[in-house]
Amino acid sequence: MKESTEQVYRQRILRVQMYIQQNLDRDLPLEELARESHFSEFHFHRIFRAVVGEPIKEHIRRLRLERAVSNLKYTDNSIINIAFDAGYQTHEAFTRAFKAVFGCSPSDFRSSNGTAVQRENAAGINESESVDGDIPMKVEIKNIEKMRVAFVRHVGPYDEVGNAWDRLCMTLGKAGCLGSGSQFVGICYDDPDVTAPEKIRYDACITVDESFEPEGDIAVQTIGGGEYAVTTHFGPYNKLGLTYNKLFGEWLLQNDRELRSEPCLEFYLNDPDCTEPEDLLTDICLPLKSK
Amino acid sequence: MSNAEKIDLYKLHKDQYVAPKKPQLVEMSEATYLAVSGRGEPGGEEFTAKIGALYGVAYTVKMTRKFAGKQDYTVCKLECQWWLDGERKNFATTDRKLWNWKLLIRTPDFVRGDELDAAVETLLKKGKEPQVQEVKLESFAEGPCVQMLHVGPYDNEPETILQMEAFAGEQNMEFHGRHHEIYLSDPRRVPPERLKTILRHPVRKKSS
Repeated sequence: MKESTEQVYRQRILRVQMYIQQNLDRDLPLEELARESHFSEFHFHRIFRAVVGEPIKEHIRRLRLERAVSNLKYTDNSIINIAFDAGYQTHEAFTRAFKAVFGCSPSDFRSSNGTAVQRENAAGINESESVDGDIPMKVEIKNIEKMRVAFVRHVGPYDEVGNAWDRLCMTLGKAGCLGSGSQFVGICYDDPDVTAPEKIRYDACITVDESFEPEGDIAVQTIGGGEYAVTTHFGPYNKLGLTYNKLFGEWLLQNDRELRSEPCLEFYLNDPDCTEPEDLLTDICLPLKSK
Repeated sequence: MSNAEKIDLYKLHKDQYVAPKKPQLVEMSEATYLAVSGRGEPGGEEFTAKIGALYGVAYTVKMTRKFAGKQDYTVCKLECQWWLDGERKNFATTDRKLWNWKLLIRTPDFVRGDELDAAVETLLKKGKEPQVQEVKLESFAEGPCVQMLHVGPYDNEPETILQMEAFAGEQNMEFHGRHHEIYLSDPRRVPPERLKTILRHPVRKKSS
């Protein structure tokens, strides 16, 4: 049973990989690839990373560069045309990206017939940093009741979500709506490995009762309701991605559960204001289809 | 928003919030707190309601100030003083219904009484617990104290307190006044064996 789940995931991702290979010449929007995989847009990029071992954007970029390599070697196409084919707008951008992976410029590569390459990592895949070695992660299946939250939508890099939290906390705080029972929840719609920083969507949410009325840019929505796979991330928020990777790569692939087409939730269990980053606790909640 | 740095009183008064594994002497100068008193079992109904009331007031005061562009600060961790009536000294042998406590959140001394009153009014209008009316602003100095980090369940504190009392004795000092605790961990999130609590007890020269 366990093997079959992983097998199904691998087959669906393989289909996407074939599709990418056949369409390297054009833009490949995430939505289109998610559709091709039959996974929800919310989870596709993370499942891809769990199965393939690198972020999808990185994967496509690498394939295009590798195709450029063979074009440099085996064709007489001009470098600028090869750069365009690989999705780069300028010679400089292409050279930079090429150097980063192969350790030499495209023209040196061509003139040396490929011997100028200095690569540390032949596959171009970076070993992902591990969260806490080989300790198996603790994952609980929990039912999260529906909850009413006030929220501020943030669009932009994750390291700027503090502004949304400030606005939300101030507005709720001065209205007397913050207390020891308030729950702080983040809704992450996008993956920073995939979506451009300025387009990342994130909702900063705090639970409120029925008496709270939306005002200004503070809106209200209902979240939760259903089963979630929950694991706790220990440490700074900028390392949350590592625990996500582990949850998708380790738990999801080995368990016979399907994901609901809803974003993941993050519950911030302590106050970053008076907690050292390494002591921060965050519950990551992955929405599951009911069995 | 204010351009000034956010104030963190625990960092500002690092020397008063040391958490050593062995007992240590600290000097507590005057400090201001939001405070609410009560009596009875820790974790009981009144205790829980008053923690809620105290946090409600603390957040409302802070955020109202922040919204108005006044000096921002961190809401400090929960602290609590514990004491018994009369000559009683031993908590372990005293019914928990008779334990007196004062819940505290350290607060900058620039927070004024009218800001507290406004926050209480806001919370009452919101229908929050009536205990918010019992929250006061208080300042006191505990003077010289013995302080030590306790790791583990609250029920195991007596062992740590014995070490602190023995240490005071070696300095020719004795305990007086109220036992004081600073809760570094959230007992709802952290398993009992990993709970970290700073224990503090005021001391004075032995009278003999």
